[in-house]
Amino acid sequence: MPKETPKNIISLKDIHASFWIHNHGINSVKDYLMSFGLKKPFIRKHVLKGINLEINKGECFGLLGRNGSGKSTLLRVIAGIMPIDKGELSVKGKVAPVLALGVGLEPELSGHENIKIAGVLMGLTKSEIKKCRAFVSEFSELSDDDLKMQVKRYSTGMMLRLSFSIAVSNHPEILIIDETLAVGDQGFQGKCVARINELINGGSTVILVTHSTEEIKKMCDRAACIKDGEIQIVGEVEEVTNYYTNIFK
Amino acid sequence: MRAQIYILGTITAKNIKLKYKNSVLGFFWSLLTPMVYLGIFTFIFSNAFPDIENYSLYAITALVFWTYFSNSSIQIVNSVISSAGILKSVNVPTIIFPITALMAETFNLILSFVPFGLLMFYFGFSPGLEVLLIIPAVLSFMLFTFGFSIIICALNVFYRDVGILWGTLMPALFYFTPIAYSYEVIPISYQWIVKFNPLFHYVELFRSILYYNEMPSSELILITTVLSLTFFGLGLLIYKRLERGFISNF
Repeated sequence: MPKETPKNIISLKDIHASFWIHNHGINSVKDYLMSFGLKKPFIRKHVLKGINLEINKGECFGLLGRNGSGKSTLLRVIAGIMPIDKGELSVKGKVAPVLALGVGLEPELSGHENIKIAGVLMGLTKSEIKKCRAFVSEFSELSDDDLKMQVKRYSTGMMLRLSFSIAVSNHPEILIIDETLAVGDQGFQGKCVARINELINGGSTVILVTHSTEEIKKMCDRAACIKDGEIQIVGEVEEVTNYYTNIFK
Repeated sequence: MRAQIYILGTITAKNIKLKYKNSVLGFFWSLLTPMVYLGIFTFIFSNAFPDIENYSLYAITALVFWTYFSNSSIQIVNSVISSAGILKSVNVPTIIFPITALMAETFNLILSFVPFGLLMFYFGFSPGLEVLLIIPAVLSFMLFTFGFSIIICALNVFYRDVGILWGTLMPALFYFTPIAYSYEVIPISYQWIVKFNPLFHYVELFRSILYYNEMPSSELILITTVLSLTFFGLGLLIYKRLERGFISNF
């Protein structure tokens, strides 16, 4: 009998998060000094305004929303990268590196070296990294020559292949994908979907951000739509995708 | 603990690799700058300061550590911003990057002891057992360099001007520190100003060990230890305070 695990692996209660951004008109120390401290150098830009969300273990959860609605910030909050101002956050599981384009790879280093660095930062041991390396070269279909090349010479599709393969190599408990799959070619997209399904069957939880309602319908169990830092609707995929499509009508 | 050492070791190795990537001469580049300075100084100043016995040795004993300080601080200041891509995707403590930047530069310093050591012998360096004191002295200087640089590093995430400003001020600090000259050439009534420069005390420390071959005075040891611990503590404190806002400003 497997140990009873709580149903919701991720739980957010009234989460607020904000960016500290430079105050308008002040973007250098000089301007700040010239205002003799009258202007505040930083202002708070509220991005997430009271998010309530529960994500269950083993589900594929879709997240929709216009550009700038706070999706990526929400993902970073879940990944523990973005500090929260207020609210209760509970994430019961290890989060794999957030998959977003051009993020997480060191452009000056080769593919092989990037696997090592990413692996180390994910907390893998030496032998796990070795396994990860074998998995990546098999799954990404990047040749050994490609992997020896500096990542700055990669195409976006190749970068996706590399970072996706690294992130899914070690059976992550929580996998977060931020609008990246669309870059891959048809063959690789199919492979990604298959791997994601495999991971979900193995007990992983996946959060998928995309603008393709087709992708959400194909892969997700549930979805949510976010607008201006607030969740507008959570529920069945059909319902949420319809809601999302209607925003643009 | 072992896992952390493994992480730090791997990233340090990456930094060392990156430093010499795309360059044919690799490590030797890091020797070139101090060598050029040494050549210039010996050429210009050895006649200007005839009181200093064995001027080349006098200059090199400080120059090596200035080079370490300036390289480390540049690397540390940029370490966090240049890892923004990684920090936006993986939840790891950001302090890893300044630490490993320092480690890579320290590795470089130790490596450069070999050619510089040979050069010093050529200039007439004859060390006694006191030379071993260089180990605690370097450790203390590491703490200072780290503490000082992470303050600028943290501020630089918010305002890139800070890094640029620091790059511009560095040559001024170089000449303000008695590296190419002895602080005794400064009129006595102004000498107290020099003592406000923390680097002055470290230069004195390294010189007393490597140039004068003597045990540093207990006053000097006390001053540098206090400076190192203060800057290290202050640096960590400020860095921790500012770290929360990093993600907003990458």
